[in-house]
Amino acid sequence: MTFNLAILTDNWPLLLDGMLLTIFIWVVGTAIGLAIGLAVAVLQLFTNRWLAAPLTFYVAVMRGTPFLIQLFVIYYGGPFFGLDLTPLVAGVGGLALYGGAYFSEIFRAGFLSVPPGQIEAARMMGISRLAIIRHVQLPQMLVIILPALANMTVLLSKETAVLSVITVNEMTSVVQSIGSTTFAFAETLLFLAVVYWAFLEIVTALARRLEKRVGRFTLRNQH
Amino acid sequence: MFSIDVALKSLPLLLGASVWTIVYSLSSVAIGFCIGTLMCAAGLSQSPVLRGIAAFYVSFFRGVPLLVQLLLSYYCLPLIGINVPSSVAAVGTLALCTGAYIAEILRGGFLGIPAGLIEAARMVGLSRAQILTRIEVPMAVRFTLPSLVNETTMMVKASSLISVVGVLELTRLAQNIATSTFQPLEIYLTAGVIYFVINAAITFVGSLVERGFRAEKAA
Amino acid sequence: MSEQTAAGGRPIIDVKGVWKRFGTVDVLKGIDLSIQKSEVTCIIGPSGSGKSTLLRCIAFLEEYSEGEIYIEGELLGFSLENGKRRRVSDAEVARVRRNVGFVFQQFNLWPHMTALENVAAPLRLARGIPREDAAKRARAMLDKVGLSARADAYPSQLSGGQQQRVGIARALAMEPHIMLFDEPTSALDPELVGEVLQVMRDLAREGMTMAVVTHEMGFAAQVADKVVFIDRGVIAVSGSPEQVFRDNDNPRLRQFLQNYFERNVFWQSGDETPADAPAL
Repeated sequence: MTFNLAILTDNWPLLLDGMLLTIFIWVVGTAIGLAIGLAVAVLQLFTNRWLAAPLTFYVAVMRGTPFLIQLFVIYYGGPFFGLDLTPLVAGVGGLALYGGAYFSEIFRAGFLSVPPGQIEAARMMGISRLAIIRHVQLPQMLVIILPALANMTVLLSKETAVLSVITVNEMTSVVQSIGSTTFAFAETLLFLAVVYWAFLEIVTALARRLEKRVGRFTLRNQH
Repeated sequence: MFSIDVALKSLPLLLGASVWTIVYSLSSVAIGFCIGTLMCAAGLSQSPVLRGIAAFYVSFFRGVPLLVQLLLSYYCLPLIGINVPSSVAAVGTLALCTGAYIAEILRGGFLGIPAGLIEAARMVGLSRAQILTRIEVPMAVRFTLPSLVNETTMMVKASSLISVVGVLELTRLAQNIATSTFQPLEIYLTAGVIYFVINAAITFVGSLVERGFRAEKAA
Repeated sequence: MSEQTAAGGRPIIDVKGVWKRFGTVDVLKGIDLSIQKSEVTCIIGPSGSGKSTLLRCIAFLEEYSEGEIYIEGELLGFSLENGKRRRVSDAEVARVRRNVGFVFQQFNLWPHMTALENVAAPLRLARGIPREDAAKRARAMLDKVGLSARADAYPSQLSGGQQQRVGIARALAMEPHIMLFDEPTSALDPELVGEVLQVMRDLAREGMTMAVVTHEMGFAAQVADKVVFIDRGVIAVSGSPEQVFRDNDNPRLRQFLQNYFERNVFWQSGDETPADAPAL
């Protein structure tokens, strides 16, 4: 087995495009997913049960079924709902819906981690429900759930590879097509693995640093 | 229009294929548990070499998307002279991947045991081996059971990816039926329901075992 | 003092026939209690007697099941329409209790805000007071409880006694007409109790209306105008400190006080019987 690294340099523009698209999918999908997750958690916890029940169902379905199947339903099944999506839109939307379910569970746990006494104190001072969420609960819980959010964000970056199956032209897809035309699978796939690996290590290290930086206060002395 | 008929007709076929999904995912979790235990032990050992190997293993298999790992094993194993059926290669890859996660889960379990409990065991004269088998392992299993059950459901879902390297299981069969019937929505939704039921069953069994542990604690 | 103020018209708090049920358990069984302006009422009783629940009902942190609670003449938490009770909106609850301050056993400071921000944030968020004015008033309140030097400390950097004083400052900043204290010193190490009680004593001297659930019998004896002994969900004894601590022979109350003395007397000579010692 010999390595022909020229394959990589020859196809550099293609690979770069794929990489940029992967990052785009990851960033946009995560951002929308975070928004969905926060909205779902707030609606589940602070509204009535008729609104909460379908949301609980959504979370259970997204967590209980494979991401690949979800993508197939959205992309191939979408036209039957009148949703004729491009692979990219279906992929980013699918990633956001998938991540949103997990993010909502994290946010939910975060809301519940704030001691009820603190909410009572805020209510006693006449602070409104929304202001309590924004000024009392969110700032504290974000510190607590940051590791979980970072972890999920990292997991989502790996899920972007699955979008290649519905023909989104991201990094994995580009590498596979280069491999199938040149038969240089070893070079291209190993390159791909190393890129993901390095990327994840960097993101994880950044997340660790962020975690250390926030949280000037500690929660230990509070009950 | 959504056709219940198509869904019902494909159901027996899909259920048949889901047996493979269960076999592949559960066997990969079983193998992965063994790998994970070894890697966890290596990671907690005194030897810097073993610790380095464990760290490298965990970092790689958690750092590279499973799909890329599967493609690597599918295309590259033959290049280095390993010719095994694609299903074997796929299960091996799943096992290596989940093993990295399980190693981390177990590590957390062992490190989560309060030091006082170990000290107490040492003070009443238990040997190092007794402490490990009677105190640490049972406690770590109890601590980590929810995470291990969760990891198992993750592997059931992740096993859908082995369809990409041509292994016949639930997702692969669903794809085949979907392309031949032109009814992808019904087929994929049915497949999704089956995955959901499998995972619900695993979670249910897990909660039963957990309840058993809790009853033990209360007694 | 209580006799004079009692004549002064409408009570600040008027509790009428209040019941509180948790599931099938009756925690409060028909409580009647009124608190006049500038009066200090200490509520004592064994744990589980319902004394904290009563205070939480007066703050509407718990919904009471039956009866009526009036705050400065306004019914709290419910509206009466043709004799039917209806729960009012949270905003309406907040309006009726806007002049009620509450101090918690566990302080319940917000750990991500400094002492100053803990006091200033509610002024901004609930009263819409501009940032600088809120900070100024918060500083004055911290000064009042002797903590102006620790304004920029986070709760985790403060001792329990200091945290509780911030809790008091936070409640005072809203300019309440009555302050409710729910076992304000019970979570504190013994040597930190004094500083909190001193702040409360000063408040009482200034004429603040206070209701205090407490295990500090010395404080109750010295500061209270009225002491209320709650036992098994009813007010078993109430009256002046003299009447409750010295002159009453309710056996449950005697037993309760006996237990209290035995826990707190750490050394005694000869065969003195502590229950006979009313000097507190």
